[in-house]
Amino acid sequence: MTFNSPLVLSDLTVIDASQGISGPFCAKLLAGFGARVIKVEPPEGDYARRMGPFHQDVPGDERSGLFLYLNTSKESVTLNLGAPGGAALFRRLARRAAIVIESFAPGQMAEWGLGYAALASENPGLIFASITPFGQTGPYAHYQATEIIIQALSALQYPVGLPGREPLKIGGSPCLMTAGVSAFSAIMIALHFRDATGEGQFVDISAIESAAVSQIHASVHAQFGGENPLRRDSQLSRTKDGWINVGIQDSSWKQFCSLIGQPSLAEDERFSDMAARRKNTKALVEILEVWLADQEKEAVYHQLQSMRSIAGPVLTVADLVGSPQYQIRGYFRPVDHPTTGPIPYPGGPFTVAEQPWRMERAPLLGEHNELVFGEMLGLAKPDIARLRELGTV
Amino acid sequence: MSRNALEGVRILDLTQVAAGPYSTFPLGFMGAEVIKVESHRRGDSTRGQVNPPAHQLFTYPDGKPGPRPWNQRADYVQRNRNKLGITLDLTMDEGKAVLIRLVERCDALMENFRAAVMDRWELDYPRLIKANPKLVYLKMSSQGNTGPERNYGSLGYTMENTSGLTSITGYNGERPLMSNETYPDPVAGTLGVGALLLGLRHVRQTGSGCFIDMSQREVTTGLLGEAIMDYSMNGRVQGPTGNRHPAMAPHGVYPCTGDDEWVAVAVASDAQWSGLVRALGNPEWAGDERFAEGSGRWHHQEIIDSHLSGWTRGLSHHEAMHLLQAEGVPAAALLKGKEVIHDPHLAERDFWDWNYMPEVGRAYAYVGTAWHLSKTPRRQGSPAPGLGEHNHLIYGGLLGMTEAEIAALEEKGVIGTQPLWTTTPV
Repeated sequence: MTFNSPLVLSDLTVIDASQGISGPFCAKLLAGFGARVIKVEPPEGDYARRMGPFHQDVPGDERSGLFLYLNTSKESVTLNLGAPGGAALFRRLARRAAIVIESFAPGQMAEWGLGYAALASENPGLIFASITPFGQTGPYAHYQATEIIIQALSALQYPVGLPGREPLKIGGSPCLMTAGVSAFSAIMIALHFRDATGEGQFVDISAIESAAVSQIHASVHAQFGGENPLRRDSQLSRTKDGWINVGIQDSSWKQFCSLIGQPSLAEDERFSDMAARRKNTKALVEILEVWLADQEKEAVYHQLQSMRSIAGPVLTVADLVGSPQYQIRGYFRPVDHPTTGPIPYPGGPFTVAEQPWRMERAPLLGEHNELVFGEMLGLAKPDIARLRELGTV
Repeated sequence: MSRNALEGVRILDLTQVAAGPYSTFPLGFMGAEVIKVESHRRGDSTRGQVNPPAHQLFTYPDGKPGPRPWNQRADYVQRNRNKLGITLDLTMDEGKAVLIRLVERCDALMENFRAAVMDRWELDYPRLIKANPKLVYLKMSSQGNTGPERNYGSLGYTMENTSGLTSITGYNGERPLMSNETYPDPVAGTLGVGALLLGLRHVRQTGSGCFIDMSQREVTTGLLGEAIMDYSMNGRVQGPTGNRHPAMAPHGVYPCTGDDEWVAVAVASDAQWSGLVRALGNPEWAGDERFAEGSGRWHHQEIIDSHLSGWTRGLSHHEAMHLLQAEGVPAAALLKGKEVIHDPHLAERDFWDWNYMPEVGRAYAYVGTAWHLSKTPRRQGSPAPGLGEHNHLIYGGLLGMTEAEIAALEEKGVIGTQPLWTTTPV
């Protein structure tokens, strides 16, 4: 067993100059698998510190739930890259790093003398990942984006929602998060190459392209059948306490009819196989919903899954935190933070060789200035004080 | 000179449908040798039925299934590029023995069956690691390898429900809706690339193989960080809010000139609001003092939406997008499938993998990778393999079987190139 071996990325230092959602989510994953991640924030902090939801709905630098979630297991230093000495300090950090992550507008890092070419000349093994909405090149490289812009342009959004109504955004920030996932995997590819050759490289991640990979039907179906996939209703039925997709298979139809107390339905020609049920969906749904109205969604889920039907109830975040499956797997884990006290966070996305997922609270703004600038870079206290006066730190 | 980042990595790909194939086609793009293993008695369900029913014809080139429909169905061919394809019946003893021989020659194995399937076939991790002590075994199951629901089945769209994603998707204040786009599948697939490579790094560090336990459902729940933290911090259970944003306004999609044509707009700051007003030509209504600050705009967003729609109705979605972006306002044409493959930005960045299908005599644009690596760019994609197309290459070339041995496997029905399924299981 290799249970006691160090975490897979524990030999790596990551300098994370990114802000918002995508870059920080990527760096969080690297930290969770053992990398030392030093988050370089501007003096006013990562702008995600000013994005909700906030603890008790009161804004504040250390109160954003989004920020707290995205920045677990990192150290934070403040550094104004545009101020005197700021870029020089960043270069010293980047010399010790395996990976630099940034999310500024394309060309901004180069303007500060911190582009890939400049940093790689001092550290040829450096993996430099830029994570932006549109990527570093192309006609829209300098366009602005948020989550809904990414869902729209990638062709992901158009088929979502109900016929006759406007296209609907998938809830939350899934595409910005997924861009972080894409960046994580891209960095793992670059790291594989670096482990073999010692060479770093430049990694260009675009959230639009990450989302365009995620639209798994629209572009390919439009070309094959010649029609754009259209918005269609969801096959969700109402239960006593919410919604469920029932997903009955041919093999479990008979059992299902018994379950709902109507064994004679199994002989009904309108529902004799998948094709017939598809044709008579409306009649079937009516029968189904009469039964479901008195059922609890999770009870139905377990009953149908035990018949090998692929049922899926619509679970809320409250249902998930209480889910026995998640509890037994220890998915939600308490993290203690001075603002919130211990509260549950989602855990790691997978485990390698049963190694624990590292999840320490997000850093306070500039919490590790002394540790990083003093102990790691060897700056004397008066030097740090002077940089603070200049507004650099 | 460009090189392949994953040169020399050989992956045995037992995955089916979507999530797993969404890991292995990008791994193939980056230089890994991916061997897709299917049974000719079942096939990957995305190959569809041997005699496709009318309601599925739109998934074939020009709506025509051709003589071998199982080799040219849209979803199958997009997700299975960059792989070699072999058939092997893992329910037969001879099939299991051949799989063990393949495992001995591969760096990694991936599968996304229900948790107990490999146990039942006696091909689970403890057995396979004996055959190859340096094997990375990536299990990408729907629920993870433990827990009371470990054997539950799922599809991409039911995963949206059980992960929580559906509960926050839907029109503002209305019932929840699924995306119908099986969003969790490609996300788990993309993450699987990094997971598998982390496993290989673990092998290099320790000299020992490893088991990777990935629950697709947990991966998807991890995308809902804001909603979960809101519940953890404030006890709030978020529901659908449509195209609205909790802080930004205006924020949504607005109708344009064409049929079912829309532009998405999001205003996150006072500067972007000023940009939007300039783009609209400083209309009088925009000077309303209620719109001077973000909170006022948010509370009166329906009024703004109606004015903004009046402006967008006179424009195409591309015109509205470029006019707004020229003033620094986040805006995007809501592209349809046919449009996105011709988008000039994605085209200039070589996002699409144009891949020729000889049976049809034309090329299709399939998705490329979500990344561009400067020294190790992705390869040109290779077409998805026909059923058992590479049986001779792999069984002869990699395992060193003679033609007679391969013929014997065919005769016994362990391998084959003709599909023996009549309907697809899902």
